Amino acid sequence: MSMITIKNLSYQYPIVETDVLHDINISIEKGEFYAVIGSNGAGKTTFCNVIRGFIPHFYKGDLRGEILIEGKDIRDWELGDLSQKIGYVFQNPFTQISGVKETVFEEIAFGLENLGLEVEIIKEKVENVLKMLEIEYLQEKNPFELSGGQKQRVALASIIVMEPDILVIDEPTSQLDPQGTEEVFKIIELMKNKGKTIILVEHKMELIAEYADRIILMQDGKVVKQGLTKDILSDEDTLQYGSALPQYALFGIEMRNQNMDLGSIPLTEKQSISVVQQWMKKEGLA
Amino acid sequence: MTTKRGLKYDFSLIAILLIPIGVAINFVGAQIVLLLKLPVYLDTIGTALTAMIGGPWIGMVTGLCTNLVKGILNPVSFAFIPVQMGVGLVVGLLAMSGMFTKAWKVIIAAVLVSLTSTIIASPIQVLMFGGATGNSSDALVATFLASGQQIWTAVFSTKIINECIDKVFCLLIAFFIVKKMSPRYLSKLNYGSIFIKSKKQ
Amino acid sequence: MDQIKKSILHLYPTTKFLVTLFLCISVFIVPGYLYAYSVLFICMFFSYLAGSFKEFSDLAIKALLLIVVFIFILQSFFYPGTHVIWSWSIFSIKQEGIDFALNLTSKIVAIGSSFILFFRITKVKDLISSLEALGLPPKVTYIFLSTLQIIPEMKKLTIVIMDAQKTRGVETEGKLFTRIKAFLPTLSPLILGSIAGTEERVLTLESRAFSAKVKKTSLYTVEKTKYDPIVRIILLILLITLIIWRVML
Ligand SMILES: Nc1ncnc2c1ncn2[C@@H]1O[C@H](COP(=O)(O)OP(=O)(O)OP(=O)(O)O)[C@@H](O)[C@H]1O
Ligand SMILES: [Mg+2]
Repeated sequence: MSMITIKNLSYQYPIVETDVLHDINISIEKGEFYAVIGSNGAGKTTFCNVIRGFIPHFYKGDLRGEILIEGKDIRDWELGDLSQKIGYVFQNPFTQISGVKETVFEEIAFGLENLGLEVEIIKEKVENVLKMLEIEYLQEKNPFELSGGQKQRVALASIIVMEPDILVIDEPTSQLDPQGTEEVFKIIELMKNKGKTIILVEHKMELIAEYADRIILMQDGKVVKQGLTKDILSDEDTLQYGSALPQYALFGIEMRNQNMDLGSIPLTEKQSISVVQQWMKKEGLA
Repeated sequence: MTTKRGLKYDFSLIAILLIPIGVAINFVGAQIVLLLKLPVYLDTIGTALTAMIGGPWIGMVTGLCTNLVKGILNPVSFAFIPVQMGVGLVVGLLAMSGMFTKAWKVIIAAVLVSLTSTIIASPIQVLMFGGATGNSSDALVATFLASGQQIWTAVFSTKIINECIDKVFCLLIAFFIVKKMSPRYLSKLNYGSIFIKSKKQ
Repeated sequence: MDQIKKSILHLYPTTKFLVTLFLCISVFIVPGYLYAYSVLFICMFFSYLAGSFKEFSDLAIKALLLIVVFIFILQSFFYPGTHVIWSWSIFSIKQEGIDFALNLTSKIVAIGSSFILFFRITKVKDLISSLEALGLPPKVTYIFLSTLQIIPEMKKLTIVIMDAQKTRGVETEGKLFTRIKAFLPTLSPLILGSIAGTEERVLTLESRAFSAKVKKTSLYTVEKTKYDPIVRIILLILLITLIIWRVML
């Protein structure tokens, strides 16, 4: 059984006259890392909200079709129970603080307090997460007084600490520099290695190419393509749907269009170097 | 679609989050008045606002919390908790009957709200504080008394004058701010639909 | 001295509240205004022991002085009575009015100062934590804690916005009408901004299992000290003694 099964799903926000999601069919398998990509307004965040149950439970509106989390329809789940199953880090870091805690340490502990864990266990878990995300130096700070990037990491830590089976993460790196972004991807990979299922909305194609197993490409509320990362990101056709491709893939495609066959389209820096080296050998250039 | 309303349904998370903001607005309103040196109080804008979109219960709790927090520094505020709660209740009820959809209705509502707060505040002021409040309006009470009026009428007259001026401003401000709220946000509140409808007209 | 200060500050919040409650009740048991006024000095003394004498006095003056003065003015001149002790043209001060004012203000001062003392020696956070332990629902706790965080945030923002307005040329000084006009543009972005944030704040709370149906735990707790039971017993004995003394009188 798939972790999440979505069949013929359409959705309309309240007061809005048209559907934002159209007839989506997808199944999400346990332990896989999915990247959701697509242009602005494609419906990526809305899609995440459906998976987390905020649609329809909080946003209301008109949800048609079927979405099953571990075989049970989203409408039958209680929001409170879903919080232990699906962790959701959303787009805006500035509203992602509880508003009642005075330090980052307490902020990260908030979710575990709500789950009723024992104080000793909470402290241990929070310390581990602080270490893992390398934000121990923030622990005594007031969550209100962090920078955007720091808030984003604290938001991520606050969810990871709850150890949900599925992690839905919506653009977690918008406020981070390249190095911070890379670090966040490393953490997400760590989660994947722990057997978590990951659904990540991101724009940074180079990193997606390196880390994600599968891609869900959205445009105008539809899933226009889905499949393995290497298939989707090496396909020139993907560009037609308002998405970018990694610069390495663009390079490979360009080479092919110039009749210089690299053998395969590279997606990452490493792959580029190796295919180019092979190609140069083959062409007798090296 | 009918929304369920009442004590059991009104304290949804989104409505609860409105309360601290309402309290803070009351404080900030008073702070701005001080900074701009205006001759009014404007310390119930938050209570009115939350009551309008969150309903009478949320309004009452906002009023309660406001004076509880004020009481930390000045315990006299504890005595006037019923006044703030009364404002929350009455504004909430008036909003439900559509009194905050047009500016002229708001002014009528302001008179009714002033009457309420005066009726609640006067006995507290007379019986617990001998007619005084410790601020400048006491001079007016003294003037009424000097002109031969009884303490009850003196306090009542002073209060109703002050309240009417204050509440007209408070409620008009709250009304204008609610008008600026997006239908998307209003639709999430049990009492928001009244204001969405009035927008469409 | 430091030891005494610590013991007072570390008393359990509800114990401190019982002290306040006792002081408030006692002024209705002991007749006359002398005792009630002396409660002010009792509170002053405690605040001195707790190291917050200055704050206590400042707040007591701010909160109580004016209202007491006005009560005296209103009551001594206008309270119906016959024992005139001073008069000038149509105004006259009557003994009955003074007595009434003494009685009333003494109680206001006593109750007011015992509450001011309570909040000087008790952190609100501790109070809420102790109420939570008594079974206050999490939603209520959330409202209070969040309120206490939002107020200073919003006040800071107000100053920022007002400064921004000034640089943009919105006048905040001068004629009354100009100043009134500055009010709404200052307040409304503040309100609309914070209200817009509530939608996602709900998602944050849901994501952190705020509505999970389990009993929450709390990292922050206040512990009872060994003095708590002693203080409570002393209060009880004092209260009983007062009541017996009053009934026998
Ligand atoms: N709460 C809402 N009510 C009504 N319409 C909404 C709501 N949230 C989003 N929309 C609309 O739904 C569409 C899809 O928005 P969504 O936020 O899901 O896109 P997105 O792919 O996440 O975009 P971005 O890359 O900018 O984050 C947009 O047209 C948006 O205006
Ligand atoms: Mg989005």
